[in-house]
Amino acid sequence: MDETAQIGRGQSATGSGGTVARLVNATKTFGTGDAAVTALDNATIDFRRGEFTAVMGPSGSGKSTLMYCQSGLDQLSSGQAFIGDVDVSTLSDQELSIMRRSTLGFIFQSFHLVPALNARENITLPVDLDSNAEVDADFLDELATVLGIEHRLENLPSQLSGGQRQRVAVARAMVPRPDVIFADEPTGALDSKTSGELLAYLRTAVDDLGQTIVMVTHDAVAASHCDRVVYVQDGRLVDEAQHPTVDDVLNKILELS
Amino acid sequence: MIRRTLKLAWFKRNRYALTVVAIALSVAFIVSTLLLTTSIADVGEPLGRGYQGVDIVVTGPEVAAGDGPVQAISAPVPAQVVARLEASGFIAAGFADPYAQVLNADGTAGGQDQAASNIAEPWLGDSPLNAFAIESGRAPTRDEVAIDRATARSAGLDIGDSVTFVTEAGVRDAMLVGVATFGGSDNDPYTSTILLPADDRLLTGASGFRRVLVAAGDQVPTSAAIETLAPDMVVETGAAWVLAEEDALNDFLGFFSTFLTVFAVVAVVVGMVIVTNTFTVSLSQRTQELALLRLVGTTRRQLLVQVVLEAVLLGAAGTAAGILLGLGGVSALGWFLDVLGLVIERSDAISLSAISVGVAVGLGVTVIAAVRPAWKATEVAPIEALRASDAELADAGGRRRTIAGLLLAVGLGCLAWGVLQADILFTGIAIGAIFLALYLGADSLVRATARLTRRLLGAAGPTGTIASRNLEKNAGRTSAAASALMIGISLIGFFTLMAATIGQFIAGDAGDALRADLVVQGIGSRPDPTLSESVLGAIEGVPGVDVLVPLYQTSVSPADGAEINQVGPGGGGLGTAMTDVQALARVYDFTVNAGALDAIGGERIAVDQATADAFDLAVGDGLDVTSLAGPVRLEVGTIIETSLPGSPQPAIIGDLALADTLGYDGPASAAFVLGSPSATAINDAIGIPTVEVVSRDAYLDGLSSNLDTILALVYALLAVAVIVALIGIANTVSLAISERVAEIAATRAAGASSRQIFWSLLAEFSLLGVVGVVSGLVFAWVSAAAFFNTLSGGQIAQPETDITTGLLIVAAGLGGAIAASWVPARSAATTDILDVLRAD
Repeated sequence: MDETAQIGRGQSATGSGGTVARLVNATKTFGTGDAAVTALDNATIDFRRGEFTAVMGPSGSGKSTLMYCQSGLDQLSSGQAFIGDVDVSTLSDQELSIMRRSTLGFIFQSFHLVPALNARENITLPVDLDSNAEVDADFLDELATVLGIEHRLENLPSQLSGGQRQRVAVARAMVPRPDVIFADEPTGALDSKTSGELLAYLRTAVDDLGQTIVMVTHDAVAASHCDRVVYVQDGRLVDEAQHPTVDDVLNKILELS
Repeated sequence: MIRRTLKLAWFKRNRYALTVVAIALSVAFIVSTLLLTTSIADVGEPLGRGYQGVDIVVTGPEVAAGDGPVQAISAPVPAQVVARLEASGFIAAGFADPYAQVLNADGTAGGQDQAASNIAEPWLGDSPLNAFAIESGRAPTRDEVAIDRATARSAGLDIGDSVTFVTEAGVRDAMLVGVATFGGSDNDPYTSTILLPADDRLLTGASGFRRVLVAAGDQVPTSAAIETLAPDMVVETGAAWVLAEEDALNDFLGFFSTFLTVFAVVAVVVGMVIVTNTFTVSLSQRTQELALLRLVGTTRRQLLVQVVLEAVLLGAAGTAAGILLGLGGVSALGWFLDVLGLVIERSDAISLSAISVGVAVGLGVTVIAAVRPAWKATEVAPIEALRASDAELADAGGRRRTIAGLLLAVGLGCLAWGVLQADILFTGIAIGAIFLALYLGADSLVRATARLTRRLLGAAGPTGTIASRNLEKNAGRTSAAASALMIGISLIGFFTLMAATIGQFIAGDAGDALRADLVVQGIGSRPDPTLSESVLGAIEGVPGVDVLVPLYQTSVSPADGAEINQVGPGGGGLGTAMTDVQALARVYDFTVNAGALDAIGGERIAVDQATADAFDLAVGDGLDVTSLAGPVRLEVGTIIETSLPGSPQPAIIGDLALADTLGYDGPASAAFVLGSPSATAINDAIGIPTVEVVSRDAYLDGLSSNLDTILALVYALLAVAVIVALIGIANTVSLAISERVAEIAATRAAGASSRQIFWSLLAEFSLLGVVGVVSGLVFAWVSAAAFFNTLSGGQIAQPETDITTGLLIVAAGLGGAIAASWVPARSAATTDILDVLRAD
C-alpha cells in the first residue's frame, strides 16, 4: 500500500517558533440547544518542542477534550488545531491515520494494547502499519532495555502485569519517534511505585531524546515531573506554571475546585 | 424477572436481530413446506367422491411394475369382458384411456404437460359409474365433446367453441358442448379428460381396456361371480381400487413431500447451529455482567431462567415473523414449482398443524440451542465480575477434537469396508460419521487455515497478522459459522455430483454412440403422444430423410423375479426396444461383445452387458419373461456393450417381429432420423404440435431433464439453507466485532487507517467462508464417490466432476461469505475511535 500524506515520517512537524502543536480559539460543544455542553471554550495554547506539559483540571473541565481535539481524534466545533503547520481539520481519515502512525504517539490510562499481538508486535505496530517504513531495531532494543521489558517482548499483553503493559504502550508511542506524544492519564491504572518509574522514564525521554509530551492528568505528583502545567477549568485555560512543586499544584487545584 | 429480561433483550436487540432473521427463515421454510405438502396430500380426495358408485374394478395382470418416470404396464382386459358382465345384469364400462390432448387456441399443446395424463373417456350419462358431472352446457353427442373444467380454463375454451385435439389416429375437431367436474373438483387429479360419446371409435378398446368399472345394478356384487366372468383378471372392490390409486398418487407426492421436508430440516439444523453460536458468543461476552448479577445475589437457577427466557423471546419473535413469511412462502414455493414445470396439484387449504409444527420448531430449536451455552455461562464465579474483562472462553476444544478424531477414524474405516464390500449401510454410516467429524472438528480446521495463511496475511502488515491471530484464537466460537456454510455447500455439491453422474449414466457412452441427426418424439405427456404410422409415413416423405428408424418400446419382467440392480430411475421391469435392427445400426454404433447383430430376429434378442451380467446370460441362453402376451421365452443372440440412450436404457433390443411375440401393438415412441432435412420441414410434414423434432444433442439432454428439474428444485431449497448460513456468518462477524471494539480502537489510535482495519476484518471472516466452502465441497466429493462406488459395485469409480460447476459453487459460497462480512466489517472500520476510548 503506497500511502503519501501531508505529513510524512522523518519530516518535522515543528511549526514556527518551535511550536509542535497548537490550538487557536478552540471551541468544542456537545449536543444542541438547552442540552448543549461547552467542553472547550475559545481555548488557545501552544505546545513547544522538547517540553513536557501537564494539562490539569477538575473532572469535566475539558482537559481530555482538549487533548482529543489537539491530536485530531476529535473535531473542533470552531477554531483550529494544528500539528506543526497542518490544520488537522483539513485532513482526511486516511491522512489522520498516517499522522497517528508517524507524527503522533498515544498513551492511554487503560493501555489499549492489541490482545492478538505480542509486546514486540504491539510496539512496532505504528511502523509496521506503514509499508514504506522500517523499524529501527537498535532504537527498539534501547527502548525496551530502558523500560525494562526486554525479556517480555514475546509475551502477549494478557501475560504482562499492568505496569509492563503500560511500558509497552509507552514504547509503542515512542518507537516512530513522533513529534509529540499525547498521554491520557497514563498513571491512572498504576500503583504509586510503578507510576513513579513511568514518569521518571517519560522525563528521561524529554531530557535525553528531546521528546515532546502532552500529558492529561489529575495527579499532582505526576504534574510535578513536568516542565509546564496548564490548568483548565470550564473549557478555558485559567493559568499555567513552570516547573511547579507538588504543593504548588495541589494548592492551585484546591483553588480551582 | 420477565420485565428485566425484556429490558435486557431489547437493549441487545441489534445483536440479536440477525439471529431472529435466521430463526424466521428456518421457520418460514418449514411452515411453507408443511403447508405445501398438506395441500398436496388432499389431491387424491376427488377420486373417492367421483368413483363412489363403483362397486368392482377389473384390471389386467401387471406385466411390469412402474417406478419413478416409468409407468407400470398391465395386460389389457379383453373387450368381451364388458359384454359378459352386462349380459349378467351388471352395469359395466371399459376404459381404454386413449391418448387425447387438447390444443390451445394458438395451436400449442394444452391440457396437462410433463408426466401427467391426457386421455379421452366415454361420457356415461347418469350411470353410477360416471365420475363426471356436467357443470355447464350439456352432454356430448356425435362430433361433440365435453372437457373437464381445469382443461377448459387453462386452454381458454368456452362452450360453443371448436375444440382441436390430438389422438393417436391424428388431429380431430369437435364442438365443445359441456364443461364437467370430476367428483366435485375441477379435474381428475393429474389428468386432462376429453369426454366423448360412449360409442366413439377412439374408445372402443380394440385391444382391450385398461380397466373395467362395474356397478352391481340388481345383482349382488360378489367378487367371485365377477372373477368367473373375467378369468385371469385382477378383481378388486371400488374402494380398494380408489385407495390404491390414491396410494400411487401419494407415492410420487410422498417422495416429493419427503424431499421438501428433508431440506426444511436442513434449514432448521443450520438455523440451530447459528442460534447456539449466537448464545455462546453473546453469553461469553457477558461473563462480567452475569458475574455481577451473581455477585449481588442472583442464584444460578435465576440466571439460567433469565437466559432461557431470553431465548424464548428470541424464538417467539423469529417464529412469529417466520410463520408470516411461511404463509407467503407457500405461494412462492408453488410458483417456483410451476416455473420448473413440475405438475404438483394442490389445494388452498391452510393446515393449522403445519403452523403448530412451525411454532414448536421455532421455539424449541431456539431454547434447545440456548440451554448448553446458558448452562456453561452461568457456571461463572462471582469473582469474575471484579477481574479484568479479557477473560478467555474456556477451551472445550480438547474433548471435541478427540471425538472428531475418533469419528473420522470410524468413518474412514467404515468407508473402506463399505466401498470394498459394496455395502451401502457401512458407506452410509461412514458418510454420517465423517460429516459429524467435520462438524465437530470445524474449529481445528479454522485454526489450521489460520496457521496456513499466517504468512500470507502477515505480508499485508500487522493488520493481517491481527486477522490471522484472531481467526486462530476465536476459532472455537466462530467455526460454527463455517460449519453452517459447510452443511449447505456439501449438500449442494453432493446433489450436483449425483445429478451429473446419473445424467452421464443415462446418456453417457450410449449418447456418444448415437449418430442420428434428428430425433422425433412425443412431448412427454401420458400416455405417450406417440408416433402413429401416419406420422411416420409423413416423416419418410420429407425430402432429405435418408434413414428413418422408429423405435417401439415396452417392458417385460424377468420370470424368475430376479432383482434388477441399476443406478438411476427404472427398475420396474426390463425395458425392451423393438426396431429394424439393421437400420438402427446406421444411426447407432453398436459395440458387440458377443454374438453378432445379424443374430437378432424374432425371439432372438440383444441384451446389454449390464443386463447379461445381472442375469448371468451368455449368447444362446434362454431368458424367460412375462409380457403383455403372457409368458415368453427369449433367446440371447447378441451381447452389446451399452444399450441405446434412454431413461431408463432399454435392457433388451429386438427386431420388429418381437412386438408380436410380446403382444405390443402400440405406436412408436421415438424415431431416429439420418439425413439433412430441417427440423421445421419435418414438423410441418407431421403437423401435430404434440410431436417434436429435436437435434441429437437436445434429445440426449432431454433424457436427463427430469433430473435437471429436480436439481433446480434442490438448488432453490438449499439456497435457503445457504442464505441462513450466510446470515450466520454476518452474525458471527457482527458479534466478533462488537467483542473487539477496544482492540480496533487501539489499532486505529496507533495509526491504522479504516481501510486497513476493513481489509483485515474482511480477510479474517472470508477465511471462515473458505473453510466452510472447501470442507463442504471435499466432503461432497468424497461422499458422492463413496456412494456411487458402493452402489455400482466399483463400476463408477468417481462421480462425474464438472470443474466449472465446482468453481461456480466456490465463487457463490465465497462471494456470499464476503458479502455477509462486508457491512459489519465496514461499519466496524469506520467506528469513531473516541467512542471507545472515552468509555474507559
